[in-house]
Amino acid sequence: MDFTIPEEIEILRRSLRKFIEKEVLPMEEKADFDPDEGVPQELLKKVRIRSHDLGFWGIDMPEQYGGGGLNTMGTVIMREEVSKYFSSLTQSIFGGPEGPSKILLAGTEAQIQKYLVPVVKGEQSCCFALTEPNAGSDAASIETSAVRDGDEWVINGLKHFITNGPYADYAIVFAVTDREKRARGGITCFIVEKGTPGLSTGKIQRTMGGGDSQCELIFEDCRVPHENVLGEVGMGFIAAMTFLGGGRLNIAAGAVGMTEKLLKASVEYAKQRVQFGKPIATRQAIQWMLADIATELYAARNMVYHTAWRIDQGEMMVKEIAMSKLYATELVNRAADVAVQVHGGMGYMKELPIERVYRGVRALRIVEGTSEIQRFIIARSLLQE
Amino acid sequence: MKIIVLMKQVPDTETKIQVKPGETAISTDGVTFVINPYDEFAIEEALRIKEAKGGDVTLITLGWDKAAEALRTGLAMGADKAVHLNDPAFLTNDAHSIALALSKTLKKLQYDLILCGKQAIDYDNHQIGVRVAEMLGIPHVAVVTKLVLEDGKAVAHREIEGGTEVVETPLPAIITCQKGLNEPRYASLKGIMQAKKKPLEAKKVADVDASPGEVGQAGAKTVVLTLTMPPDRAAGKVVEGEPEDAARQVVKLLREEAKVI
Ligand SMILES: Cc1cc2nc3c(=O)[nH]c(=O)nc-3n(C[C@H](O)[C@H](O)[C@H](O)COP(=O)(O)OP(=O)(O)OC[C@H]3O[C@@H](n4cnc5c(N)ncnc54)[C@H](O)[C@@H]3O)c2cc1C
Repeated sequence: MDFTIPEEIEILRRSLRKFIEKEVLPMEEKADFDPDEGVPQELLKKVRIRSHDLGFWGIDMPEQYGGGGLNTMGTVIMREEVSKYFSSLTQSIFGGPEGPSKILLAGTEAQIQKYLVPVVKGEQSCCFALTEPNAGSDAASIETSAVRDGDEWVINGLKHFITNGPYADYAIVFAVTDREKRARGGITCFIVEKGTPGLSTGKIQRTMGGGDSQCELIFEDCRVPHENVLGEVGMGFIAAMTFLGGGRLNIAAGAVGMTEKLLKASVEYAKQRVQFGKPIATRQAIQWMLADIATELYAARNMVYHTAWRIDQGEMMVKEIAMSKLYATELVNRAADVAVQVHGGMGYMKELPIERVYRGVRALRIVEGTSEIQRFIIARSLLQE
Repeated sequence: MKIIVLMKQVPDTETKIQVKPGETAISTDGVTFVINPYDEFAIEEALRIKEAKGGDVTLITLGWDKAAEALRTGLAMGADKAVHLNDPAFLTNDAHSIALALSKTLKKLQYDLILCGKQAIDYDNHQIGVRVAEMLGIPHVAVVTKLVLEDGKAVAHREIEGGTEVVETPLPAIITCQKGLNEPRYASLKGIMQAKKKPLEAKKVADVDASPGEVGQAGAKTVVLTLTMPPDRAAGKVVEGEPEDAARQVVKLLREEAKVI
């Protein structure tokens, strides 16, 4: 067995690190914004465009659409790398739901050219609108409906918690087109452009992690042309689940990178903070906290890497992706908790970035399938095997 | 324009350097290696000249097997081909025998301009570019922060104490590069993939018409006797009391203990 990270990935990782340290972090320092108020959109766009010019943005998208064609192994290592910084901007190097989305590959060539390519170039951004007030984990129970009327579909309903909703150039929207069939052929995916009559953004939903990127999307007799159906009518739910599966491994990889950063910060602080005449790092109570996180980090990283590697060998890894997402996101929450504890009062103060990370990582156990839903997926495949 | 870049693989600047007792080289355990940062300026300058005037860029390094990774990084940045002096009989940290091996290699190649870093950040010898120029019998300009090429000549700005010296030299010449010359590009995924298909030639001692006795450790003019870590910095001293007394105490300490005034 050869566990060596391929040389080309190492070279790429080094390029990424240079980009972050020479350009992104200085940009963030200079802009001097309060991340709790939200990152200025111009700044995000600037990072996106520069990241695209360097070949990072859209790195895992197919080359024929302007992407980098990077495999899963490479992608998770890059995702891990951008998370090794206490920064609000590095996450925009590859992007989240606002960025190039593989779900659009299910579209026609015309849809891909019109919608995916501008996002791959970093010129436009999108959003993924599935969740509703009455349908979160149970996404198949969404109520937003779409009714066909000649060459158009009429959408009615309310989506919430939609990341990048306030700024997206278009939304990827899921609506019920057949109440009987629902998840089994009755949910369809639509592309709805910003400014389409009947589409409006509702209230901005402020979060624990800060920022202003989540909002409600309101559809009132919103008419979209039939050509904006993504994939086949009725097949939207299956497409959504496939897309979320891929995203989950990226979240796990990010959690691994963040855990490493939190651990490193904790180790450094423990060595330098003196109480009762000695660095606190000399106390077993502190040492054991650090040792436990380091051990779990080792496990989480190898889960993510191995899962990625097997995906690249062509295997379906539904269970292992769920395991990686579950384990790594739960871990990063423990790591953030340890980091606050090791830093004591300083860990709680806004002066250090630790408390912000502590708040931010809490979302990772909820988004793209809660920890409970991951366990449900794991158990389901165990019981089916 | 045929441009050659001499480059070296060095420990990452962020690596914690360790020396095992009794060893005369740093420990390579867990160390990541990168292109010497000053050599990156050389590669970038070569690529910019190529982009402006046409031609090709060849990279040359002398080093262990792993140094091929540094060459491939340079190829990924955009260089066209690479030569790896890869033979245990080449390996040494002695500036003379490295320069000799490089100059023997260069004698068999065509070039209009040779670029390299002003120093490698591992052993900080500042020697290679200058020595190679002497061995080849061509001019050199060292510590260059700006380079303008004209017909058959180069105008180089170099840092000197308190100012800038502008030097004109005929080509071919060797230019050693200093920070400020340019901002090196990053290797992109596309470049990295293309680099895999570019020629990377490994050469043994015999391939450059050198005899085993004159290069590598055998040909070294210097010997590293010992290598030790700098001593840990002693704790600072805090002088307390009224400003007047404190100042007096500080002066006394500077005079008697530190012996600097
Ligand atoms: C920061 C943030 C960004 C988001 N961005 C987007 C976005 O861009 N697009 C989008 O569509 N959605 C987005 N969401 C929504 C997110 O996907 C949902 O919040 C998530 O799927 C959980 O749904 P819910 O909030 O309705 O919780 P619920 O489903 O109501 O869950 C409540 C609790 O019950 C548990 N639970 C539910 N069902 C079961 C079960 N069967 N067995 C055991 N326990 C169960 C859950 O695990 C959870 O602990 C975002 C959410 C957040 C917090």
